[in-house]
Amino acid sequence: MLFFSYFKDLVGREVTVELKNDLAIRGTLHSVDQYLNIKLENTRVVDQDKYPHMLSVRNCFIRGSVVRYVQLPPEGVDVELLHDATRREARGG
Amino acid sequence: MATGLRSVTERTGGGTGQPFLDADHGDVLMLVQPGVSIVLGNRQPESPGTLFISTKQVVWLSDTDRAKGYAVDFISVSLHAVSRDPEAYPSPCIYAQIETEAEEDESEESDSESDSTLNLSKITEMRLIPSDPDQLDMLFATFCECAELNPDPTEEGEEEHNWIFSADQLENDGEEDEDSDWAFAQNPGHSIGANGTHDLVHSVVQLQINDQRFEDADEMVQDDKNGHN
Repeated sequence: MLFFSYFKDLVGREVTVELKNDLAIRGTLHSVDQYLNIKLENTRVVDQDKYPHMLSVRNCFIRGSVVRYVQLPPEGVDVELLHDATRREARGG
Repeated sequence: MATGLRSVTERTGGGTGQPFLDADHGDVLMLVQPGVSIVLGNRQPESPGTLFISTKQVVWLSDTDRAKGYAVDFISVSLHAVSRDPEAYPSPCIYAQIETEAEEDESEESDSESDSTLNLSKITEMRLIPSDPDQLDMLFATFCECAELNPDPTEEGEEEHNWIFSADQLENDGEEDEDSDWAFAQNPGHSIGANGTHDLVHSVVQLQINDQRFEDADEMVQDDKNGHN
């Protein structure tokens, strides 16, 4: 649940979602749910040569289980907050 | 787990019919959208047809050929999107990527173009083209709604059963938290052997404390405390 809460705070920011099939999609984070399904708006494919047909889709729903990484905007990462949260999570609190 | 696209050759009722849904296992029809063409991979559009979105799957049935149809479970749909850019595809459509079992081989664009050798389980892309582009947002919303109903079964299991405990947690729970998951260990009615499960719990605690993986965690907790003193 840690990452669910964390990603919810990033709604409205630009993120890059990298899928397990190597497709990387950049867009504005619209919403995220408890399964880390991710909805992006104003998306674009990072590697346009490889995926020209996905050049621009306006909104996109990505299944949480196919996500490999989510690249966050550096300014959206509160390192202290994340440290505390991960420690609390590790203790089961 | 991901089974990919499959052929649907049977349907219920008269007229163009409806797909068979397993209502006993919670598969409920959410949306029927006539006038939808389907495009599988790089193939030509197949039309006309009717799109059925249920709580578990997406089904497309041909209007003209009662033995022709396709279905994919939401659990196999990696992503779906609204595509309106004519450079991406000439017709506005719902674009979906399908997770297939054999993802490692070079299946992506190399499918044989001959219809007779069409291997549905290797299709990784699908487009649904409604006759009225204004329906796209509604279709997308229904797709999202139903996709959210279909998390991976393993993930669901992990959410429900919190099998992973930290050593600290085990100690605390054993001592003071009677309402915890470990309460059953103190209930003789549920004990596994004649000696009860208490010793078992104890040895698990011992085991985990001696586990090297937890050494760092302990250090960090102490560092933390020292830092605040």
